[in-house]
Amino acid sequence: MPMVRATWHVVFPTERGRVDDYLMQLSGISKSFPGVKALDDVSFNLKSGEVHALLGENGAGKSTLMKIISGIYQRDTGSFLLNGTEVGELNPKKAQELGIAIIHQELNMCTDLTVAENMFLGRELHTRGVVRQAQMNLMAKDILNQLKIDIDPTTVVKKLPVSKQQMVEIAKALSTNARVLIMDEPTSALTEREIVELFRIIRDLKKNGCAIVYISHRLEELKEITDRVSVFRDGRYVATRNFNETNLDELISLMVGREIKDKFPQVKTAIGRKILAVSGLNAGMVRNASFDLFAGEIVGISGLMGAGRTELVRALFGADPIESGEVVLEGKTITIRHPRDAIDQGIVLGPEDRKKQGLCIELSIRENIGLANLDTICNRLGVVRRKVEKQLAERAIREVRIKTPTAEQTVKNLSGGNQQKVVLVKWLVRDAKVVIFDEPTRGVDVASKVEIYNLMNDLKRKGVGVLFVSSEMPEVMGMSDRILVMCNGKITKELDSKKTTQDEILRYATQYNS
Amino acid sequence: MKTTFLKDFFAIRGMGQVVSVTMALVVMVIVFGVINPSFFSGENTTNLLRQVVPILIIGIGQSFVMITGGIDLSIGSVAGMSSMISATLMTTAGLDPWTASAITLFACSLVGFLNGVLVSVAKLPAFIATLGTMIIARGIAQLANGNMNTDGIPESAEGFKNFFYYGEFLGLYNAIWIGFAIFVFFAFILGRTRTGRHTYAIGSNYEAAKLSGVNVVAAETKVYVISSLLAGVVGLMLTAQSGMGTMNAGNMYELNAVAASVIGGVSTMGGQGLLFGTVIGSFIWGVLNNGLQFAGAPLALRNLVIGLVVIISVLIDRVARSGKITFFKKRSR
Repeated sequence: MPMVRATWHVVFPTERGRVDDYLMQLSGISKSFPGVKALDDVSFNLKSGEVHALLGENGAGKSTLMKIISGIYQRDTGSFLLNGTEVGELNPKKAQELGIAIIHQELNMCTDLTVAENMFLGRELHTRGVVRQAQMNLMAKDILNQLKIDIDPTTVVKKLPVSKQQMVEIAKALSTNARVLIMDEPTSALTEREIVELFRIIRDLKKNGCAIVYISHRLEELKEITDRVSVFRDGRYVATRNFNETNLDELISLMVGREIKDKFPQVKTAIGRKILAVSGLNAGMVRNASFDLFAGEIVGISGLMGAGRTELVRALFGADPIESGEVVLEGKTITIRHPRDAIDQGIVLGPEDRKKQGLCIELSIRENIGLANLDTICNRLGVVRRKVEKQLAERAIREVRIKTPTAEQTVKNLSGGNQQKVVLVKWLVRDAKVVIFDEPTRGVDVASKVEIYNLMNDLKRKGVGVLFVSSEMPEVMGMSDRILVMCNGKITKELDSKKTTQDEILRYATQYNS
Repeated sequence: MKTTFLKDFFAIRGMGQVVSVTMALVVMVIVFGVINPSFFSGENTTNLLRQVVPILIIGIGQSFVMITGGIDLSIGSVAGMSSMISATLMTTAGLDPWTASAITLFACSLVGFLNGVLVSVAKLPAFIATLGTMIIARGIAQLANGNMNTDGIPESAEGFKNFFYYGEFLGLYNAIWIGFAIFVFFAFILGRTRTGRHTYAIGSNYEAAKLSGVNVVAAETKVYVISSLLAGVVGLMLTAQSGMGTMNAGNMYELNAVAASVIGGVSTMGGQGLLFGTVIGSFIWGVLNNGLQFAGAPLALRNLVIGLVVIISVLIDRVARSGKITFFKKRSR
């Protein structure tokens, strides 16, 4: 075997300068699954050297289309031209050979292996079965250098933060000479600063002629990098626009098929009495946190990833131990050692990662809602009263409009937005005093977001105190009455959401030396 | 009315697998009956039922543990320990059989409690924790009577023997009724009570269960106590059956119980399973054993077939589930 040199260059001389020629052209694509038409006569095209955003609510068909492009699904009908030639039947391996790489929202890495081992997984360089690790490390380093990513290829992946892991995935895709890179919600787990870094890499790739398909629910961030945008709705192609010739309002109305007038439907209520008073709370990385929460108020908790927001609310909920500090609920000092204690006192939490922490996805909607309310559903002997449970579940489904045929539907068959509603509603059927939302709109489509905001407003009207953790500044500012900014485990500032700006929040969110 | 009942029945999660396994069992019974009609004789059916009961009871305990996502390797040894402790107490110590039984069951539940604490508090992998207690429990069984099987339990234990094994009710041995009662009771616990719901929930998603207010430590400990307690009952049955304590009683029962559970559709990953499936699974295990014996197959062949059945039933489950995975992807498009 000849000496393999570390070579990675995305060079497509033939495509350069012919920007109107499409690198990839799909037309008339349909795909059915038993009982559902996931894609109906869809077309999509991609130029080399462009960032092409795909927009659409959950269930619009974006992911199905991307899975067809990357060979995970087979299309039923339609043509798929790459550089003007029909690709025919596709499978993931063939797609990779054709230079199509996909980076899934949930990263696919062997986290116990090193960066270089992951990058060469399945195509290890070897001499009669013995891997040439040193050589692969050098090649990996070379690729990372070209992307200007500062990661040691011998690091074990699980020691890297998510943002770095994602960059490794990008490097891995490029090491296979990808010329089409599909990114599904790449920024959903990144901080603002990491997003800036990701966008820098995306711009570099673009300069090298790589075409990038970019799926995101975060409309605001698209304007940084997007050239064109295609909108999908209910399995159909709606429109493609040049990004600089459109605006967010148009895109949103294309996505939902109607105008969303009020992205953040804030309601005004009279602020009531003090419900919760936290003082001097220490728990894990959270240091000396003190704040008050009043009835009928939404308090946003803002900050960068790793600022300690989730840790703060988990401690309040008893999910992580409180080391010291005082929690006063309606004038009474309470002790919280276990989520059960918090729930009994009327403090509930919708956790940030619905699949890992929020739901038993193999169980039904009824059972998931029931699980959090077994104290009221069971009789004194601990026997589940099925009728009561069923009624509770059905009431919940009606109240938050979960789209499902029955309460018996397994939760994993629901869309992201509806799953999130199950996570939240299982608490809302209780009479809670303090409701904590941790990233309730992550990975949720625009229409469902508005419904979740409405849920928060309903609680506010009922006189509940709401804590709202979110990484998306516009929604924190839009929905909250007050904003607590956290940095490095401390609450660095309390701001009035009417009078503050994103810049100001960011300033306190990066106040590391306070 | 009838159709809604059927709909509800099939809506029970995992019922599909159970129904298909039940049909497989029926086919098996018919085939063995055709090969050798005396398979259906009253004597053999009773015999078969009595063979199945210990595996069925242990299998129910194992299923509880497996539904939480764990495994209990210690229960075969615990059954042996139960047999030896109870018989030693009755013979050497001269206790009356009921006191001896109570002490024995308490000792067995202690092993279960230890398993539970090791898994839920110390966070040891269930496989390792129960492997350790499996060896320990077998050691206790050997220690109980100075590394010897016990003498026959005294005449006065006739009532004990009858209660746990030989007595008859409606023409069936008590052992069979005990197995039936245990099934009904625990199926109710698993299907209808808070304990059951917690069992499924921690197997399905431990973190989500905790954040839903489930006392996960208690719920996880409970299943190991249940499985050890049931193993203890089986040990008492074995003592009643043979009239003495046997050190290697219950050998391999834990793995036969895993086989019965898995054949019946209990997921090794946790979160899924029905006790009715476990019952059918243990019957398939028993019918294969008994039927092949009746058909004149040597022991080696029997083991070979049962091993294959375990693998095939899980494979079928995988294939059925991969069908579900496409269904899932369709929804999350």
